[in-house]
Amino acid sequence: MLPPVHSLEEIEHVLTDLIADKIDIDRSSIQPESNLKALGLDSLDTFDLIFSAEDYFKIKVPSDEIKIETLEDVALLIQRLIATQK
Amino acid sequence: MLGQPRHNRVVITGLSTVSPLGNNLADLSQAVFGGVSGIKRTAVPFIEQLDCKISAQSNFDPADYFTKHTYSMLDRVSQMALHASMEAIKNANLDITDDLKPRMGIYLGTGMGCAHSFEEGYIRLYREGANRLKPFTVLMSMYNAAASAIALAHQITGPSQTFSTACSSSAVAIGEATRLIRHGYADVMLAGGSEAFLTLGSIKAWEALRTLADEDVNDIGASCKPFSVNRTGLVLGDGAAMLLLESYEHAKARGATIYAEVVGYGTTNDSNHITQPTVTGQASTMQAALKDANLSATDIQYINAHGTGTQLNDITESNAVKKVFGDHAYILSMSSTKSMHGHLMGAAGALEAVITTLALCNKTLPPTINLAQPDPECDLDYVANTSRSLSKFDYAMSNSFAFGGTGAALILKKVH
Repeated sequence: MLPPVHSLEEIEHVLTDLIADKIDIDRSSIQPESNLKALGLDSLDTFDLIFSAEDYFKIKVPSDEIKIETLEDVALLIQRLIATQK
Repeated sequence: MLGQPRHNRVVITGLSTVSPLGNNLADLSQAVFGGVSGIKRTAVPFIEQLDCKISAQSNFDPADYFTKHTYSMLDRVSQMALHASMEAIKNANLDITDDLKPRMGIYLGTGMGCAHSFEEGYIRLYREGANRLKPFTVLMSMYNAAASAIALAHQITGPSQTFSTACSSSAVAIGEATRLIRHGYADVMLAGGSEAFLTLGSIKAWEALRTLADEDVNDIGASCKPFSVNRTGLVLGDGAAMLLLESYEHAKARGATIYAEVVGYGTTNDSNHITQPTVTGQASTMQAALKDANLSATDIQYINAHGTGTQLNDITESNAVKKVFGDHAYILSMSSTKSMHGHLMGAAGALEAVITTLALCNKTLPPTINLAQPDPECDLDYVANTSRSLSKFDYAMSNSFAFGGTGAALILKKVH
C-alpha cells in the first residue's frame, strides 16, 4: 500500500517523478509552474499522465475536469479529488 | 497525375534491416552469405509455457535509438519499422527537402500488426483484473501505427498505406510502391515490412497450427531445414526491413548510388484453401511478375524462395518453379534464406528483397543451410549450405506466398 498523500508538495513531487520518467528529462527542470506543453507533453501525453496519476492516487478524474496547463493545476485538481472521492 | 511521366523506371537506392542476423547491412551480409543461423532459444519470460521454444528473434532495444518519450508510445512493430526507415534514408543519403515531402510516401507490410500492445491490454484486463486500458492503447495497436509513425517522423505527406496479406505483406507493399512510382504518383517511397509477434498468445496460436519446426537437439540453429528430407516446419522470427525506392530520373538527378532496379511485380491469389498452396497458384504469381517485367523465364538466374521449410510449401514451390521455368528450372539457382533468418511473416518479403538486392550487388548467391539431404521431390539447385559466386547475374526473383492465398513475386535487375 502506498502512503497517504495529502500535501500539495507531495502530490507535485509524485507528478514530477511521473513526468520525468515519461519524457526522460531531469526532474530539476520541472517546476510547479511549468507549463506541461512547454515541457513537451501534448494532449495525449497529458491524458497518459492523468491515467498514471489516477492509478497512483486511487482517484478518478472526470473528463470535463481536464482543463489544465501547469503541473500545479494538475496537483490542485488531484488534491481536490482526493478529498472529495475519499 | 497529369503531366507526370506514366512509366518511370523504379530503382532501389536505400536498404536497411532489423533482423535476427543483425541490425545493419554489414552484419546481415556477413551472416547470410556466410551461412550463419540466427535461430536460437527464444528469450521470453514465458518460455516454460511454450511447446516451441525456438525462434529467430531480432536483438533490438528501442532505447538504443529513441528517447523513452518516443518509444513508449510505439509498439515494438512500430519501433523496428521506424528505425528501419531512418536507416534506409541514411543509407540512401537522401535529403528530404520541403519539395520532396509531398512526393514521398510509405507503404508498409505487417501480418500480425501490433501484437505486443494487444496482448498487454488483454493481460491488464483479463489477468490483472483492471477495468480500463492505457490511453495510448488504440494508437499503439492500430495496424497503420507503424506507417503513421514513419510519415510523422520524416514529415512526408505522400501516400501512406499498410498492407496485410500475412506472409506476403511486405512483398506486396514493395510491389505496390513500385507501381506508384512507375505511374507517377510519387517520386520516392519507403517500402518494406515489420513484424513483432513473439508474444505468448501469438506463439501459442502458431503452435496450434502444427507448422512450427521441431528443435534440432544437436544444433538449435539448424532447426529450419527448407527443401531437406528431414525438414519439420518453419521457425518464427521478428524484425523489419526497408527499401528506399525512387524513380530512376530522381535518383540520377541527385547522384544517388543505385543498388538495383525493380523491374517486375506480380501478385495473385490461389483461392484454393486458407493454408494449402497450389502449384498453379504459385506459378501464376511468378508468371505475372515475368509478364510485368517483360522478361522470359530464361532471363532469371536466381530465385529467393519463399522456402518456409514446411512439407507442403517446399514441394509446391519447387513444382511451381518447374511449371513456370521448364528446363531452365534446373539451370537457375534457388535458395531459402529462411533457413538462417527464420520466417519474419509480414517482414519476410522485405528482408528477402534486401538480401536479393545484396546478392545482385555482390554477384553471390546466399545458401540454403541445413541441407544435407534434399527431399527427392525437391530436385532443383538450392545452393546447399554454402554461398556461391555467379559471374553472370542480372536478374533475380523473390517469392512470397501466404496463408490466405496472396502470392507476390518481385523481379530485381542489376544496374550496371
